Amino acid sequence: MENLDAARLQMAFTLIFHIVFACIGMVMPFFMVVSHYKWLKTRDQIYLTLTKSWQKGVAIFFVTGAVSGTALSFELGLLWPEFMKHAGPIIGMPFSLEGAAFFVEAIALGFYLYGWGKLPERFHWFTGVIIGLSGVASGILVVAANGWMNSPTGFDYIDGEFLNIDPIKAMLNPAWFTQALHMTLAAFTATGFAVAGIHAYQVYKKRKVALHTKAFKIAITFGAVAAILQPISGDISAKDIAKRQPVKLAAMEAHYHTEKGADLYIGGIVNPDTQEVNYKIALPGMLSFLAFGDIDAEVKGLNDFPEDEIPNVPMVHYAFQIMVGIGSVLLLAGVLYFVSLKKKKWFENNKYWLLFAILAPMGFIALEAGWIVTEVGRQPWIIHKIMRTKDAVTPMPGIVFSFYTYVVVYLTLSVAVTWLMLRQIKVLNQSK
Amino acid sequence: MLYVVLFFLIFSLYLYVLLGGADYGAGIVELFSSEENQKITKKTIYRVMGPVWEANHIWIIILIVILWIAFPGYYNILVVYLHIPITIVLLGVTLRGVAFVFRHYDAIIDNSQKLYDAMFKVSSFITPIFLGMVFGGLISGNIIIEDDVTNLSFYEAFLKPWLNVFSLLIGLFFAALCAFLSSVLLIGEADSGKEQIYIRKSAIATIVVFITGLVTFIYGYATGKEFVMSFIQDPFSVIAVILSALLLAPLWITIKRGNKVWSRFFAGLQVFLILLAALISHFPNILITKTSSVSLLEGVAPQSVIQSLGVALLVGGLIILPGLFHLLKSFKMIKILERD
Repeated sequence: MENLDAARLQMAFTLIFHIVFACIGMVMPFFMVVSHYKWLKTRDQIYLTLTKSWQKGVAIFFVTGAVSGTALSFELGLLWPEFMKHAGPIIGMPFSLEGAAFFVEAIALGFYLYGWGKLPERFHWFTGVIIGLSGVASGILVVAANGWMNSPTGFDYIDGEFLNIDPIKAMLNPAWFTQALHMTLAAFTATGFAVAGIHAYQVYKKRKVALHTKAFKIAITFGAVAAILQPISGDISAKDIAKRQPVKLAAMEAHYHTEKGADLYIGGIVNPDTQEVNYKIALPGMLSFLAFGDIDAEVKGLNDFPEDEIPNVPMVHYAFQIMVGIGSVLLLAGVLYFVSLKKKKWFENNKYWLLFAILAPMGFIALEAGWIVTEVGRQPWIIHKIMRTKDAVTPMPGIVFSFYTYVVVYLTLSVAVTWLMLRQIKVLNQSK
Repeated sequence: MLYVVLFFLIFSLYLYVLLGGADYGAGIVELFSSEENQKITKKTIYRVMGPVWEANHIWIIILIVILWIAFPGYYNILVVYLHIPITIVLLGVTLRGVAFVFRHYDAIIDNSQKLYDAMFKVSSFITPIFLGMVFGGLISGNIIIEDDVTNLSFYEAFLKPWLNVFSLLIGLFFAALCAFLSSVLLIGEADSGKEQIYIRKSAIATIVVFITGLVTFIYGYATGKEFVMSFIQDPFSVIAVILSALLLAPLWITIKRGNKVWSRFFAGLQVFLILLAALISHFPNILITKTSSVSLLEGVAPQSVIQSLGVALLVGGLIILPGLFHLLKSFKMIKILERD
């Protein structure tokens, strides 16, 4: 395996894991504080049990997220030293602020986890809120750095030198808002459906129905609201990408030929050799409409871009289809939940719970697919139109061994974390 | 503003060595304890480190972020040539953190605890050794800076800089220092009657620190390491080391009297002096290659970057430090936290 491929795989692999841990660590505190709030209001013992159980989940995921994040902060330099040498100072601003937010989160978590019965009740609850808020702030700030890679700003690039650096302008890059909005909603959707799904499965299995129903309701409310809002954010993102990274948009849609009134393809098998998409459903003019708000607008095709600036089209296209497809399913499921609040009978139907149990992993699959669209869709650039990924990779050979090590360690860790979660649920079900 | 940034760099390095070091040291103390004492130590560590251990390790993230933002040239050399030991440190940090959480948050207590404990203890020992070896790699004079590293063999470029006796000695010295910090800390946290365990541990750790330090110096001197040579010629370094050794006297008196605030202060001050001694004779040239020294300031980021980073650090510091202080203060007296 080439060094570049090994480095990209390692980066992708560690990010795929980190994103799951980080999202759960970022969103689950909100479930926890809602349950905690209900405990303080109602003094219903179930909410206390639930809060304490979720807090353990938060602690476990916070730590796994934190250590995998520490590893990533080093990996950026270890794998991409040329990139960091130039980009580090420019995009350092959001990273240093993220460090601060993360620190606040760790402090608040310390207070929260160890504060039961020692801190004034309201203050204790409030430290939980801080965990959630600073977690979301961390996420938004990190996305700023990724946004910069897609829309590099805040410097002048002259003869291979990065001059007149303006870190604030780099942080406030044009892609930041759309990406951060999309990612935050995605984190809430994915975690909401995942946690709700786990509890739904427990209800399906008739274990502690009262407790798990309450847990389900809290988690799914966040997930459903986010899933319903997500298309708006997706639309903003699509229009933004159409302007800034037209080649990425073309790859997402496997759109090879420049045309006016371009069709939107749903599904289909991409054949890069014949430049055709077979077995698709084509919606006439819809791509032009979604990208530019006009069904007759011209959408540039992949053929009109230099050949060495085109990403892996099938991968980006499939990932995009998966993301949008699952997103739509979760949107419907979200609506279904709100309807079910009016139709209480559905709650007694076991198929209802089975449905949500099956949906549990879907949000995360969509979220990972979305990141594949962003990251693979940016290739061959590490900094869009400025630096190629192959020019950024470490000169140290043999990265493939490091990649394998990470695969073994991370896979073991995820098995261990899953096993630990199962044990948490088991104990929760045995509790009084 | 450069001074603000430098201050925070050194400050986070110091806090990482102190807090992270005590944290690693806890695992080392546990590793080198009898089975019965291991159980006691495990409980004590959880009580002391539980609320703060995560915060302890964030200092290294702050450190690395400051390095890459403000000193990209220096950072670049670090991550290219010391890729392997840094990766090992990362794996150690990962396994250790996970093991710590697993052993305290696993809902069911059974035999898997043994595995978590083993993971925790071993990675607590290995990780600081490799951290020390990274520092050793920086100062052992084996790094060869080449624009095209393919001109060098893999061994010359990526192994020799850190995989040598001198670096290993520094690694062992650092691990001993961690154990020293931790055992002093644990004296004040032990249940009454158990202090004696940690008083003995700190005595042993002190001796190990002394021996490993001495051996490192003799070896460095015998092999003519530039770091050691300039160290002994620099009056500040020598004074700092002597002061650090002299502080052993008040440290032992305060330990005997059971004054835990002062004993911790002296131990922390000793480590500070050792760190100061190690950095001062070269500062800001913290990297010694085969042919020359490289300054931290080589390839320093432009003024605008330093400016904004300085502001961010000051603001962040104002928010974080009081919070952290409060956290440490709030939980210092807790003695009853067990599984709920």
